[in-house]
Amino acid sequence: MIIYTPLSMEDVFYNANNNAERQMISYNGKSLYCEKKADGSFEIVQLLSTDPQDFLNHQLSPGTIISQTNV
Amino acid sequence: MNNEPEKKEDQTQDNNSSSLVQKIQQLGQSNVPQAPDSNIHVLSIIGQVEGHVQLPPQNKTTKYEHLLPQLVAIEQNPKIEGLVVLLNTVGGDVEAGLALSEMITSISKPTVSIVLGGGHSIGVPIAVATDYSFIAPTATMTIHPIRLTGLVIGVPQTFEYLDEMQNRVVDFVVNHSNITEEKFKDLMFAKGNLTRDIGTNVVGKAAVEYGLIDGVGGVKEAMQKVNELIKTNGTQDQQVMQ
Repeated sequence: MIIYTPLSMEDVFYNANNNAERQMISYNGKSLYCEKKADGSFEIVQLLSTDPQDFLNHQLSPGTIISQTNV
Repeated sequence: MNNEPEKKEDQTQDNNSSSLVQKIQQLGQSNVPQAPDSNIHVLSIIGQVEGHVQLPPQNKTTKYEHLLPQLVAIEQNPKIEGLVVLLNTVGGDVEAGLALSEMITSISKPTVSIVLGGGHSIGVPIAVATDYSFIAPTATMTIHPIRLTGLVIGVPQTFEYLDEMQNRVVDFVVNHSNITEEKFKDLMFAKGNLTRDIGTNVVGKAAVEYGLIDGVGGVKEAMQKVNELIKTNGTQDQQVMQ
């Protein structure tokens, strides 16, 4: 594997010991990249969609907490 | 006398609201107006382009395994007529970047890219992969040689392998933009421009002058261009039908 970037490899592979568990979930038919919280709920990190209208939906905005039962 | 028309209005309003209540009781829902579906979809490529190896979580990444199925969906969905690619990337995996570039360039629908902020290294082939490319006046693109990471066992073989990898990127950029191979390699191996590396930092207008990018512009220009391409695409289809 070759990484082609102006950043130094130390910057790319620097490990901050961030053990947050991140995973892809499907919510209301949309794919979301989420961080799992200690209580089992998910916090949205990134919305994976190409439809610009999805980004106007406040329920899908980053930082929103989704309870485990809705996933 | 004056009160009578108001009373009538009240009655009709009552009728309207009661019919709505009935509708809700019967069907359990009412029609909520929704935003119309967009015929132009947006693909944002941000941070590091992540490929074969998962990067540590402090990196903001765009994972190619997420984007490739989305690109197939865009090609398949008849409601989607055009694609705008937004780029603000610091580069990343060569294979993943080239895979994305090849996917974007082989889409039959009109595609337009905008380089915002930065489109460095592997961002360059992704930017030129679209039918028409824009760069924001303040955006930059770093063009530099591919560097080696990891273990070197045989020096000549490693050099050849690296040279081959680099040629894949150079060939793609030269074939999909108006820059010549000579000029692109000149920029790639220029000395004294970057503090820690050889190469060139190309800013906005300069990228257009070198022939790398088609025009300087932002969202307005990109949307105009993609709509224009959709129109010409439509008339071509009609001619084929006739």
